[in-house]
Amino acid sequence: MSDPIYTEIIIDEARNAQNEGILENPDISQHDANPMCGDSITLQMKVNDDTISDIKWHGNGCTICKACTSVLTQLIKGKDLTYAKNLKKEEILSELGLEHLIRQSPVRIKCALLSLKTLKLGLYTYLAKKIENSTSFDNLKEEASKLY
Amino acid sequence: MQSSSVSLENIQKDFPILQRTVRDGKPLVYLDNASTTQKPIQVINAISDYYTNHNANIHRAVYALAEEATEAYEATRDKIAKFLNIKNREEVIFVRGTTEGINLVAYAWGRQHIKEGDIIVTTEYEHHSNIVPWQLLTKEKGAKLEYIGVDDNGELLLDQLDSYLKTGKVKLVTFSQMSNVLGTISNTEEIINKCKQAGVKTLIDGAQSVPHMKVDIEKLGCDFFAFSAHKMLGPTGVGILWVRKSVLETMEPFHGGGDMIREVHKYETTWNDLPYKFEAGTPNIADVIGFSAAIDYLTKIGMDTIRKHEIDLTKYALEKMSQIKGITLYGTKDLLKRGGVISFNFHDVHPHDVATIVDRDGIAIRSGHHCAQVLMERLEVAATNRASFYIYNTTADVDKLIKSLEKVAELFKL
Repeated sequence: MSDPIYTEIIIDEARNAQNEGILENPDISQHDANPMCGDSITLQMKVNDDTISDIKWHGNGCTICKACTSVLTQLIKGKDLTYAKNLKKEEILSELGLEHLIRQSPVRIKCALLSLKTLKLGLYTYLAKKIENSTSFDNLKEEASKLY
Repeated sequence: MQSSSVSLENIQKDFPILQRTVRDGKPLVYLDNASTTQKPIQVINAISDYYTNHNANIHRAVYALAEEATEAYEATRDKIAKFLNIKNREEVIFVRGTTEGINLVAYAWGRQHIKEGDIIVTTEYEHHSNIVPWQLLTKEKGAKLEYIGVDDNGELLLDQLDSYLKTGKVKLVTFSQMSNVLGTISNTEEIINKCKQAGVKTLIDGAQSVPHMKVDIEKLGCDFFAFSAHKMLGPTGVGILWVRKSVLETMEPFHGGGDMIREVHKYETTWNDLPYKFEAGTPNIADVIGFSAAIDYLTKIGMDTIRKHEIDLTKYALEKMSQIKGITLYGTKDLLKRGGVISFNFHDVHPHDVATIVDRDGIAIRSGHHCAQVLMERLEVAATNRASFYIYNTTADVDKLIKSLEKVAELFKL
């Protein structure tokens, strides 16, 4: 039986989600939730020399949310912060063949992008803490507000 | 009970929305009735007729339209009183819905009567609307909120009520007559009797019960009762709060404004008679009149017929659903203790995935926490799926749901 969303790739990715767990002493720990459906995740990262040396996630989510979170963590593990900052939703969705969600399911796209939203929130909070210059901070805030 | 076969057989044709298709031509199967129900043409026409022929503000002007509108609005109050066996029409207050009704009690009664150290008791299977107003009130007053627990069958642990009552500090016990998640029907009379003996006030959330079973408020003997029109074929934005007159007389107004006053001077105001003291501003006249048509519709079918239909349908659904691979059904198996609400989960499949898959077959079920996160914690789940029935649902609807749920089991290899 075929299904436009629930392909074997997605169900397998969600069932065998990568990087699930808890990190001790993370440099970044960010929680976010989707109040509509109750999806709720925490992303934790270790940062060494501006590189994400380790990443773990935990929480409750639907199949789409879990599969996308798993893919996201695999994409950015070992990469530098600039890469993570610039990560686009299309890159995650295309890994799972879910690009059609953007057009077809305004509700479920939120499940798919919760981890990306959480990542950006965590990254920007982390970067903001490191910046003392208030003009750059405002720039960063403005950049963050235009993420979607 | 009379047979339901004649009156319910062709009932779907009264509901225009049930004729439409969704998701590429699939006939709509609507199974989210605990959330809101569809409206029969009689209700839609009543609203349209009001705006077409009678629209005017009520309780004010002397011209013909105003008299007609006032009469239709006030006739609904009488109809509701008769429908629920309420003796005094001035105890029936029009509000926006159950949520506003409960908030009115928390504000206008609670702020008068709840003091530091008092206890308000609710239950673990309440809707957020019967939890949050009491959290706000008890925090403001330095009072305490306590919960009657729910057992594994989905029934209330009434021993806990006894121990709360023994403290002598309980001022109010507030609970739903039927759970919106598990469908459990509370032992309402038993709880009210216990509270009465202890001199404790009771509030019943009837949002799920009034649409689906015969309710006799006089016989129940509670002090407050709230429910909503939109869950019983009526329009959104109309609800009823009933308050025993002797209690209502001790309450200060909820909202200040027009219609709730007798005389207004620069620094002082006297209040209008009951129930108008609690109905400030121009009310939702059109939808109250629409609600009147909904009550006529339900009365014509008969609440006993509705209850029997839903027991039959729930029995049929529970039997079929229990055979699906990987499914967990919540709530009691005793059909006399539950309404037509079935919450369920599939092994490791999130409810949103289930709801998305059945939606593609045109089936509307709810997935989520159902505004009952305290109960979700108790059940140790983040969310559930919920199918809930009403008079227009049939065994054919259930069969479609079952077929679609089997697809879920197959896709996820359960």
